[in-house]
Amino acid sequence: MRSELVHPAVAVAGVSKVFNRGSANQVDALVDVDLVVAPGEFVSLIGPSGCGKSTLLRLIAHLIEPSSGNVLVNGKSASQARLDQEYGMAFQQAGLFDWRSVAKNVELPLELKGWDKKRRAARAREMLELVKLGDFVDHRPWQLSGGMQQRVAIARALAAHPPLLLMDEPFGALDEMTREHMQAELLRICDETRTSVVFVTHSIPEAVYLSDRVVVMSPRPGRITDVVDVDLGRDRDDDTREDDAFYRKIIEVREALRNGGHDTTVDHETVDPDAVGHPLLGVDDR
Amino acid sequence: MTTATLAVGGSARRVLDAVWPPALFGVAFLVIWEGAVKVFDLKPYFLPPPSSIWAEFTGNLTLIRDAAWVSGANAFVGLLVGTVLGVAVSFLLMRFRLLNDMVTPLAIALNAVPIIVLVAVFNNMFSSTSEIPRRLMVTLVVYFIVLVNVAKGLRQVSPIHLELLRSYAATPVEVIRKARIPNAVPYLFTALKIAAPAAVITAFVAEYFGGPQNGLGSRIVSNIAASRNAVAWAYVVGACLLGLTFYLVSIAMENITTSRHHTSRGDDSRGSGPGGGTT
Repeated sequence: MRSELVHPAVAVAGVSKVFNRGSANQVDALVDVDLVVAPGEFVSLIGPSGCGKSTLLRLIAHLIEPSSGNVLVNGKSASQARLDQEYGMAFQQAGLFDWRSVAKNVELPLELKGWDKKRRAARAREMLELVKLGDFVDHRPWQLSGGMQQRVAIARALAAHPPLLLMDEPFGALDEMTREHMQAELLRICDETRTSVVFVTHSIPEAVYLSDRVVVMSPRPGRITDVVDVDLGRDRDDDTREDDAFYRKIIEVREALRNGGHDTTVDHETVDPDAVGHPLLGVDDR
Repeated sequence: MTTATLAVGGSARRVLDAVWPPALFGVAFLVIWEGAVKVFDLKPYFLPPPSSIWAEFTGNLTLIRDAAWVSGANAFVGLLVGTVLGVAVSFLLMRFRLLNDMVTPLAIALNAVPIIVLVAVFNNMFSSTSEIPRRLMVTLVVYFIVLVNVAKGLRQVSPIHLELLRSYAATPVEVIRKARIPNAVPYLFTALKIAAPAAVITAFVAEYFGGPQNGLGSRIVSNIAASRNAVAWAYVVGACLLGLTFYLVSIAMENITTSRHHTSRGDDSRGSGPGGGTT
């Protein structure tokens, strides 16, 4: 959002990742990937299973190291950014700690930053009000619905006010109605907190609704095949989902996914038109 | 407050509903036993009637209590030492992977073997007036149960929790404190629920293999040898009561911590998860 900020939120340059190098089951998870995410920008990574989108997210998070290339987060090396908690993370499973109350779950990253008790409690309350769970501070995670648990996970990821949020299919396990609601909530929260987001999904409508840019990826080897700008403006609501421009973007992303498959017509699996699916459904969840 | 009151009222009702069928069955069983002894004129050396067992139980109450104290102390000391050792070593196994790979399969195997036969060997190592062999035996039985379960709880932490803690730049010690130890707590209580009755049983049976004649187990043996069957049965009643006490205390301890730390729902699924290992 604020162009005077010097550093991009994420700068990935020439990154490759090989698993099991040299062995019979060597996997080229990512080959020569470049990606820059501007501050405040919302970028989705989309592609079929095995295209390396989760691997790319984990490289940015410094949960794994790249085989070659360079990852910068907020101008720092990925490892330094992790040590400084420059990002928050959320997964498909909320991953809450059952033995902690909702508030204590949100406080966990702050505990590890060495914040004192009073400051932690105040911030946890602030974050839970942001995700509209202010009345559930003392509840246990298992007393909440799946959507509420995922909102606690988002509050936790944002508790330290990191400039970047990394999300790996966070709404993948939710039903469609809850999912749309959570998407709208996420856009509101990111606008309020001016957080940049890298968001992994395999749902085309989800990627289009949320993103400023959709990065289309393709497997074997994993790489970026296309980038679709989604110029639908920042104020998106339920009407956006029924807009013609929204449908046109869905078709654009869908065709980018299909073309990504065609580029590597080595085997028939990747060309299978069914693999792209219905425009309103995901690539994987038909 | 209201939900708490409701829960208490509801649980009292549930307890009552759960208690009366087995209680009724127990009373009926005693009546049939008593009747069978009378009708078939069974000799006291074969099967004494509950009425004379009860008479011997109340008549020898002080002796039974003293013997229960001896066996109970053996079980308790073994339970305590075995638990402390088991927890300590499971932390070592968590820290040193090679040690874990060497010890854990062995511990699981030993848990499935009746190691109680070792008590004869232990008796041979110490003087015949010593309680140490019995306590050593209890310690060993408890140790393996606690070790296997707690080591599992420390190891089987959700991968998402580990990734999250890594993303928070948590140190290895912080990972242990924030994820591994709290994860292992319900496993410890499952282990204690198995180990408490096992400790009492081991303490009794260990007395069958010799040593001082002061505990419930040795009193049962000596009274049977002296053809005082009803008295032996009275000691059996004492042994049952002691075993029950240990079990109930372990369940109460689990309930106190689980209501504080965990869900009853999560507890159920965990209850079947950890466990394993009897004597």
